[in-house]
Amino acid sequence: MERGCMVDQGTILLLITVAVASAVEATEALTIILASGITRGWRSTVEGTLLALACLSGIVLVAGTTLILYVPLYILRVVVGTLLLIFGLQWLTKAILRETGFKALHDEADIYDREVVTLSKEKGVRGQRDSLAFVVSFKGVFLEGMEVIMIVISFGLGNGSYDQLGTVALGALVGVGIIAATGAVVAKPLAKLPENYMKLGVGVLLTVFGLFWMGEGAGIQWPLGDAFLLVLLAIFAAATLCLIAYFKRVHGKRLEVRA
Amino acid sequence: MPLKTTQGRIWKGVRSFFSFWKHFLIGDSPILALGVLLILAADYLLRNSGFLAPVLSVTMVLVLMAIAVYQKTRHKNSKL
Repeated sequence: MERGCMVDQGTILLLITVAVASAVEATEALTIILASGITRGWRSTVEGTLLALACLSGIVLVAGTTLILYVPLYILRVVVGTLLLIFGLQWLTKAILRETGFKALHDEADIYDREVVTLSKEKGVRGQRDSLAFVVSFKGVFLEGMEVIMIVISFGLGNGSYDQLGTVALGALVGVGIIAATGAVVAKPLAKLPENYMKLGVGVLLTVFGLFWMGEGAGIQWPLGDAFLLVLLAIFAAATLCLIAYFKRVHGKRLEVRA
Repeated sequence: MPLKTTQGRIWKGVRSFFSFWKHFLIGDSPILALGVLLILAADYLLRNSGFLAPVLSVTMVLVLMAIAVYQKTRHKNSKL
């Protein structure tokens, strides 16, 4: 009973991670789609976007099915855990650097302005097929989506079944759907979204799941079983806050010295 | 001449493919990818060490995280 409850908590954590990660990447893709659509016209932009989404769905189905059918679960866990841990630490370190001032914050409004300037320079006729708009939107959605796809496949294969892959894909769709709907309503980049806090949260969750599955795949017996995920979550959240506090002070001191 | 052009295109495509995956998996922090692989090797070696294995595994990831952030702050500082 208790274990079932923990599995549910694990699934909820997993869904939140995937939905937020998808929302972050969708926000970045939305900026590119809006810049392309408003500057070059919507027809080719929408076509490029739909093709990219179709390719991404195909990759999930083909790669997910192949891996579930042909790769043993313990190998999957090691590979999936290792990839998630690398992604998680990448997200986390970048988000910490942005939060402490060592790296500029991701500014969707600024990115949008730059995209609009670049796209406006190229000639094209609005309303007709525009290869630039098609390629820009396809590339933007495909590249931003690839990271989500890797997360979806990795999380989806955590227990080696189709059920989890479906649940995780649903989480990703919810994240993307919320951003797409919001973008369609406001028709401008979502610059006010707390993107860095979302990245910090996703970074911690990816790191926790990655470490847990990699260790489990390698044969480590985690104390408390799945409940240890919550312990890891607390440890990594606390460590992230400590690093942010420390490096904020370091950055402040460096600015003082330079002044 | 057309054969050379085709070979050139294939070679360019292969390079782009690997470059994409290298950028995707390793990014601009090779220390993270390398560190995670070393931790994985350590996990295999420690798997029969009882309670020590989880403690060391978590500690190693925390240390790697701190080193990666510290390295980037030094790098950024040297650029200024």
